[in-house]
Amino acid sequence: MLQLCRITKSYRMGEMAVEILHGIDLTILRGDYTAIVGSSGSGKSTLMNILGCLEPPSSGQYYFNARDITQLSDNERTDIRNVQIGFVFQQFNLLPRLTALQNVMLPMVYAGYGREERRQRAAAMLEQVGLADRMTNRPNQLSGGQQQRVAIARALVNQPELLLADEPTGALDSRTGEEVIELMSALHADGLTVVLVTHDASVAQNCGKIIRIQDGQISRSA
Amino acid sequence: MGLRRRERNGGDLAETIALAWSSLLANRMRSALTMLGVIIGIAAVISMVTIGRGAQLQTENQLKSLGSNLVFVQSGVAASGGPASRGAGSATTLIWEDAQAIAASIPAVADVAPNLSQRTQVVLGDRNTNTTVVGSTPAYVTVRDFLPLSGRFFNQVELNQAARVAVLGQTVVDSLGLTERSALDRTIRIRGETFTVIGTLEFKGSTGFRDQDDQVLIPLTTMAARIVGVNTTAGVSVESIAVSARSAQSMAAAEYQITNLLRLRHRIVPPREDDFLIRNQADLVNASNAVANVFTALLGGSAAISLLVGGIGIMNIMLVSVSERTREIGIRRAIGARCSDILRQFLIESTVLSLAGGLLGVLLGVVASLTINAIFGWSAGIAFDAVGWSLAFCLVIGVFFGAYPANKAAQLDPMTALRSD
Ligand SMILES: Nc1ncnc2c1ncn2[C@@H]1O[C@H](COP(=O)(O)OP(=O)(O)OP(=O)(O)O)[C@@H](O)[C@H]1O
Ligand SMILES: [Mg+2]
Repeated sequence: MLQLCRITKSYRMGEMAVEILHGIDLTILRGDYTAIVGSSGSGKSTLMNILGCLEPPSSGQYYFNARDITQLSDNERTDIRNVQIGFVFQQFNLLPRLTALQNVMLPMVYAGYGREERRQRAAAMLEQVGLADRMTNRPNQLSGGQQQRVAIARALVNQPELLLADEPTGALDSRTGEEVIELMSALHADGLTVVLVTHDASVAQNCGKIIRIQDGQISRSA
Repeated sequence: MGLRRRERNGGDLAETIALAWSSLLANRMRSALTMLGVIIGIAAVISMVTIGRGAQLQTENQLKSLGSNLVFVQSGVAASGGPASRGAGSATTLIWEDAQAIAASIPAVADVAPNLSQRTQVVLGDRNTNTTVVGSTPAYVTVRDFLPLSGRFFNQVELNQAARVAVLGQTVVDSLGLTERSALDRTIRIRGETFTVIGTLEFKGSTGFRDQDDQVLIPLTTMAARIVGVNTTAGVSVESIAVSARSAQSMAAAEYQITNLLRLRHRIVPPREDDFLIRNQADLVNASNAVANVFTALLGGSAAISLLVGGIGIMNIMLVSVSERTREIGIRRAIGARCSDILRQFLIESTVLSLAGGLLGVLLGVVASLTINAIFGWSAGIAFDAVGWSLAFCLVIGVFFGAYPANKAAQLDPMTALRSD
């Protein structure tokens, strides 16, 4: 489903370019449940952002469904983010002025769904993540775990093929974190392809595949 | 996938407008202050244009009410080196005989009314008022289209006899505490002379530079003999002669013939300059319109500048808004908003801001216009075209001054925007 060939990423720091990822080769198949682990600063988030088409790699090829992402226009990559990939952030990244329901509807707005369809589908998504009674709450009226579930509902509302989650439990306590992980496992069980970054070894153990990143390189994958 | 997708469009327009509105409401005070520039600008444009138009219309009406197919011959200053001036202490160059000659010998002319006036005091018992006393002839009624409201105008006999009779304008009637009925047969004093009121003139309306109802008409002979007292060897001096042409078509001919006749009578051979001035109503209307147009343009222009300043205020606040909401932009971009969606969102926001300001400005401007019209008794109404133009201008301002901030927002890199806070 997606394949990375010799992906590198460097950031320009003033005059110098610092390379963060040094030639990543990676394949993820449809239906995989993959964990990315590694120490802090090793480049996990950088890799996830590239997978999520949020940032282009500096070199190498990234094939998503056999299309080379690096050759696509900004609009085409935007549409892939919109429809084919759901992204869950560590910091939730909900819009503070919108209600939970409005936040979940947002990707559908940009996808061009009609108003009624959006409302019904977003409500169904919130129900699925167990927030049927919190639809009109704003993010600051929700707990961290609830906010992350809203974010997951938002990521899934356009029925993507791939769900990316960068430390989805990083800002949560262990109990609510577990709930979120359970939710992700359930989604995988329903057939969704999931890639998640985690520091928690036990969470990683539950995944079908573990990729360890060390200093911008894949040190071991199983 | 079982879901039906439309052409992607970033949400329909009504929704985007609602979104823009809610984000403006989120910063109520700031939005209101920003709008204030536009509000004041628009209100100023509309009320300034209303004032300009009202004054113009007023002058125009007044000039029209002078009479129809009118040509005014006005005294000029006697040219130096010409024949001896006609009256000691008088700068006037026209005499009654000039008027009589015009009436008698120019076929295009229907009638003439000479005019000799003086501002002076009129007394009735213990009341008095300062007004303009005008000496003329019975032709005044037809030439100036000024009919008596009560009583009658003086006749040829009274003119010939230099009778001490007076016809009062309505402002004078009021000032003396009379009505158009009670004024009749009263005795008033002008410059110590007693006059019998034989009529009052119809109401002609006022404002602008002169109140046409603030005058007292007396026979020209009486005026020259008793009030002004400048009977010269050449005859009775007059300040101006109102001439009515037989028709609108014959006005040009009348002007031409009057010029020739007066040059002959005053022995003026070009290149010597005429010692009189001929103007028709169209000239007066055009002259006053030219002044009024400059006036309106100046007022409207300075108002438009304040509108421009309002627009810059909008740009400023939109730039602030974009940098405050960088993270929001990043989130929207991350979940599938295209550059064009972001551009649209901010453009609509700035347009809603300026249009909302514009509408409030229109409201304020209309209220101001109505107040102005009520105060001056104008019937110019509201400058609806100015309303239309300024709203269109608001739209342009919203788009123009919103374009730079919106483009800045749209060009943000999604990841950079997401990382910011
Ligand atoms: N925009 C950037 N500009 C410069 N350097 C960056 C930028 N983003 C990340 N880096 C650097 O890249 C390296 C990897 O960062 P990354 O966020 O991918 O780490 P990570 O593995 O996700 O760490 P953590 O587990 O703490 O989240 C870090 O050294 C970081 O300083
Ligand atoms: Mg990270």
